[in-house]
Amino acid sequence: MQTFDVTFVRSLRLLLGGVLAAAAAVPALAADPAPMAAVVPPEIPQSIPMEPAPKNAAALPHVVLMSMGGTIASRASTRLNITNYGGKGVPRVNPEDWIHDLPELANVARVTTEDFRPPEDRPTGPETFADLEMVAKRLNELAQDPSVDGVVVTHGTNTMTEVAYYMDLVVKTHKPIVFVGSQRPWSGLSGDGPLNLYNAVRVAASKDAWDKGVLHCMNQNINAARDVMKTSAYRVQTFRGPNAGALGFADPDRVVFYREPVRKHTYLSEFAGVDYKSVPAVEVAYGYEETPGYLIDAMVEHGVKGIVIDGTGAGSATTSQTEAIKRAQAKGVMFVMTTRTRSGRVQFTPRRREANILSGDDLQPEKARLLLQLGLTKTTNFEELQRYFDEY
Amino acid sequence: MARFRLLLTLPAALCALAFSLNAAAADLPQVKLFTTGGTIQSRASNRDKMMEYTDGRKVEPQELLDELPELKAIARMSYLEISNVGTPHLHNTEQQLQLAKAINEWLARPEAAGAVVTHGTAMLEETAYYLNLVVKSDKPVVVVGSMHPWSAISRDGPMNLYNAVRVAADPKARGQGVMVLLNDEIDAARDVTKNNTYRVDTFVSRDLGPLGYADSDRVVFYRKSLKRHTAKSEFDVSKLTTLPKVDIVYAYQDADRAPIDALVAAGSKGIVLDDSADTFPDATKDGQAKGVVFVQSDRKGSGRVMLSEKAAGKGLVTADNLNAQKSRILLRLALTKTSDPKEIQRMFNEY
Repeated sequence: MQTFDVTFVRSLRLLLGGVLAAAAAVPALAADPAPMAAVVPPEIPQSIPMEPAPKNAAALPHVVLMSMGGTIASRASTRLNITNYGGKGVPRVNPEDWIHDLPELANVARVTTEDFRPPEDRPTGPETFADLEMVAKRLNELAQDPSVDGVVVTHGTNTMTEVAYYMDLVVKTHKPIVFVGSQRPWSGLSGDGPLNLYNAVRVAASKDAWDKGVLHCMNQNINAARDVMKTSAYRVQTFRGPNAGALGFADPDRVVFYREPVRKHTYLSEFAGVDYKSVPAVEVAYGYEETPGYLIDAMVEHGVKGIVIDGTGAGSATTSQTEAIKRAQAKGVMFVMTTRTRSGRVQFTPRRREANILSGDDLQPEKARLLLQLGLTKTTNFEELQRYFDEY
Repeated sequence: MARFRLLLTLPAALCALAFSLNAAAADLPQVKLFTTGGTIQSRASNRDKMMEYTDGRKVEPQELLDELPELKAIARMSYLEISNVGTPHLHNTEQQLQLAKAINEWLARPEAAGAVVTHGTAMLEETAYYLNLVVKSDKPVVVVGSMHPWSAISRDGPMNLYNAVRVAADPKARGQGVMVLLNDEIDAARDVTKNNTYRVDTFVSRDLGPLGYADSDRVVFYRKSLKRHTAKSEFDVSKLTTLPKVDIVYAYQDADRAPIDALVAAGSKGIVLDDSADTFPDATKDGQAKGVVFVQSDRKGSGRVMLSEKAAGKGLVTADNLNAQKSRILLRLALTKTSDPKEIQRMFNEY
């Protein structure tokens, strides 16, 4: 019966288009271990009429909603399934489904969609450099397109902040680019996706969001791509900057900014506006008691040009790692130190300079990796690379 | 005499450093220390006394400088003593006005690089935000304090003071408004609040985080405030001899309207409501009829009081994410210009 309802609604949508279907009010599904539905609707109250469309819709900002997928683009079999969603046979949330499910978006922006998800049958997510390259190239095009006022990019939450930081470095733009995701699938009970998406579009449509670099907006917080990190596996308040906090908030009354980032980004970035077809290989080595140096040897053997040591405490490597670092440096491999404490900075000390190890400032290792990769496209000079870590 | 004692008590290496740098001192940025007192200028009778530490001799401004010869390597220091008291005693308006005037006089001089203010931590955030609104300069002003007295084991005062001077002497700190520095962290005066009664990591900006850090390798900034402050502020206390009386009423279950009525009767020109209670709307209406301006703040400690047409319709100003004590400071200054709630709302949106 449940399957029938949903299928019926979907056919209706196909026949009559989105607006009529919204009025058809899909009944909310109860938590039910029944066989998988074809399409589980979003967890949004369906019986509340939407506000009337604005008279000046044509004058609203044009926001491009770009999907790189993620939990926010996932459905599950039941509303209570918020951990084991998606997968084979479960329909994904297509970009046009978001528009259909959130007619309120039409009140804040003229939203058009673009789909940058990997094909459904590809075994991996959007996690290859080719995915990054494709999206970066498109974002650079949209930055130049005078008909576009802002961009929202959805992404899975696990790696979204490093993807956002990459765009922060390589997209030459003054316009807002806002990364958004959700902790619960589109179909999850009290799912955070719909409000996050709505707020991300509000931010991308805001004139106050210009010139602030690539942004991240979930849970009403607007953070800078450089500083934000995922700090909790499942809770909705997962994204925060451990050293530098929010830039502003997407609050019910208005989108409000209190801060701007000081570090270089987007239109000020010397890496921006370039279509990088590939970047030098850089890997991350974690530090812990008795970390063996041979892991570094293996990376070098594999041909890396740089290695990020995610060191302990203030940024320390073990003795075995230190010996391996010297062996690798003799082969021209560049090293940058970050700290696994995640908060605080790796300082630039005389001892580190003597050891020819770059200080990763307060960057998370996955972000230091991207900056080193871009840096190595320009130079292998130590001072110049350190300048990147000081300025970006 | 002070220098003689210093030679005897400090490691020889440090002194050598300090004196060898005298030659280059003329080129160093000039920072003036404005001392008002506080824990950072307190001594206890024992080194392990971390509370009720008022039984020792106060630390004089010159002693702060003498005990930190390392400052000679980063700035040319001078000082002006405003007072030497704990915060609860520094809330008299006369001293607040005197402090602002003295800092403005100093920063107007071309040779001045920046200013550091010592302050007790209990109400440090209020003085810092007040200065953020009335200092007429882009040059850095850093308010500093400590959680442990100057006499304590592992006292935090010396490093805080040293770092405060580094930030005040740093050209990168220009245009950041008034800053608060304790525990390596550089916070914006507007956003920071004291968050803990005794621990050294007490100052936090709950909504927005710090602006940067005074780390050993360098002073580093990650954020710049977008709010109006210092050189861009419209408030001017140079010709004022007093500030309007503004008070705070805290809300709680079954809160009575009596405090509001009493304050109105006592002549308050403005009242900040720290959260709301059933009895407040009527009391507010009566107060407004007598010309008192009301600001709606919130006791939760983070997040904003939203702009609302409903509140505006009642002539109630909303405090954004300013806490009650900072709302009070802004309302006092706002009332030196206007008593129009609409205009005051603009100020609460901008500062």
